[in-house]
Amino acid sequence: MEETKSTEGNREVPWGRALTSVFRSGEGLGAAFPFARGKVEERKGRSRDGVLAYLETLEAEAHKLALKQEEEEEQKKQLVRLKARVKELRAKRDELRTKVELQEKRLLDKEGLVTDPAQPSAQTVLEWKIKSIKAMLQVFYLSGISGKRTKQGVCFCISTAYEGTYLDSYFLDILVKSEVQIQRHSVPVFIPLEQIAKEHLQADIRRFLAVLSDHLNAYAGRRYQADQLEERFSDRIEGTLQRNSLCNLLVFNYNVSSDSKPFPFKVKLLYGDLCCSLPTEAIISCTPGAPASLAEMAAAHSEAFRRMALHKAFNSLISAEGSQD
Amino acid sequence: MDKSIYQVYEDEIQLLEEEIKLLTEKYEDIQHESTSFSDEEILMSIKLFQREHQGEVHGSPLDLKAELESLERDLSFIVKFTGIQFTSHSKKTLEKNANRTVQKHRLSGNCRSLPFQLEFQLLEMQNKENVSAVITDLSIIMESGEYSELSKFLSSAEEHGNLLLFFRSLSSYAEWHEHRRCTFLHFK
Repeated sequence: MEETKSTEGNREVPWGRALTSVFRSGEGLGAAFPFARGKVEERKGRSRDGVLAYLETLEAEAHKLALKQEEEEEQKKQLVRLKARVKELRAKRDELRTKVELQEKRLLDKEGLVTDPAQPSAQTVLEWKIKSIKAMLQVFYLSGISGKRTKQGVCFCISTAYEGTYLDSYFLDILVKSEVQIQRHSVPVFIPLEQIAKEHLQADIRRFLAVLSDHLNAYAGRRYQADQLEERFSDRIEGTLQRNSLCNLLVFNYNVSSDSKPFPFKVKLLYGDLCCSLPTEAIISCTPGAPASLAEMAAAHSEAFRRMALHKAFNSLISAEGSQD
Repeated sequence: MDKSIYQVYEDEIQLLEEEIKLLTEKYEDIQHESTSFSDEEILMSIKLFQREHQGEVHGSPLDLKAELESLERDLSFIVKFTGIQFTSHSKKTLEKNANRTVQKHRLSGNCRSLPFQLEFQLLEMQNKENVSAVITDLSIIMESGEYSELSKFLSSAEEHGNLLLFFRSLSSYAEWHEHRRCTFLHFK
């Protein structure tokens, strides 16, 4: 049986090819395999089905081998293609690098505006102008209120930021027909949009946007401060910071030490003014039976929370405590 | 055949493609920032462009003119609406790589006849889901005149990089200022 068994990983492909071509041409197995014929005769006594099954196995294995060979050829070609692509890209990358370096050097030499010595085409000039206008529109986005005309009105974008960090932006699709209407918007449901619109939208749309922007920026600021507290001081906060969706009610716990003993403080921050990102009330409570000296500390902490941004206030309280020990 | 050998090449191809994209953007940015065309040159180019592509039916070239006009309409609308106008704007790319871009902006303009000059750095960072933008090194030049409150506000805004707050406050201050001016004129 050894001669007819196809050895695994046998690279003598012609053998496999010859076999499949024999099967395709319809000739009997005997044409390609004289020794097979011999083996077949040897088994005259065995069942015909057994022999057929064996022949089928041979065919299947030869077929598999042919496929494998094709696959290997394909893989070799693929590798050649990949190598060529890498070479091509490397050349392009190096060309660009030189171009940019040259450009930077030219700028340093001439410090200032450099117009291409060759006369720029009309297309180049237009493309330049388009890019410039887009850049200016981006600055409007940074300014907090931007928008563009639509078929039936205007689409405004209110951006929010906390100090220098820009946060989410919100859209309003406004229809201007007989009266001004808000068709679509992405303002969160807990912002009193309807109330603000009722008061200002028809009378003065700029005022409407300004008031809405105040609400959104204050909300974004409060949320940012709470996020910063959670992110930076998670090890100092006991349990989790609790907040409502409008982020105008925050509750959290932290420990203070007095006489080297830890005492829990529970803080409740209320932001009464929705256009403000500082709390109007900072209620600090400790467990009953806590030393009286803590009351003074609580008052000081409460003031800090009312005066400064939450994460900054907390940071200063921690640092003060650290310097005390 | 070991599949990992493809991976090595494919990874390098991806890296190279990204680098090429970045370098192309960088080249185009620097090219843009170091060029300037006057309004006359732009008007001439529009005319020339139209002549060059006359008779072409809605191909991509003419879309360029349409795009420019559409953008100019958008800009003129928002300028009129907010009362904020920029008389000059220059950008300089200080740093640019796969996930960080730092640009220095110089702006001058006015808000309802109140002039201002700004300089700031804009840092844009690409993380998994979105792009974050942060303002640093904000510097504001504005006539505060007799209003010491205004100069205090400006210093505070500068300290915290509060560009957005500056614009929002400038806008309402300018409106109040204009209103006050009109009221005084009325009583003259």
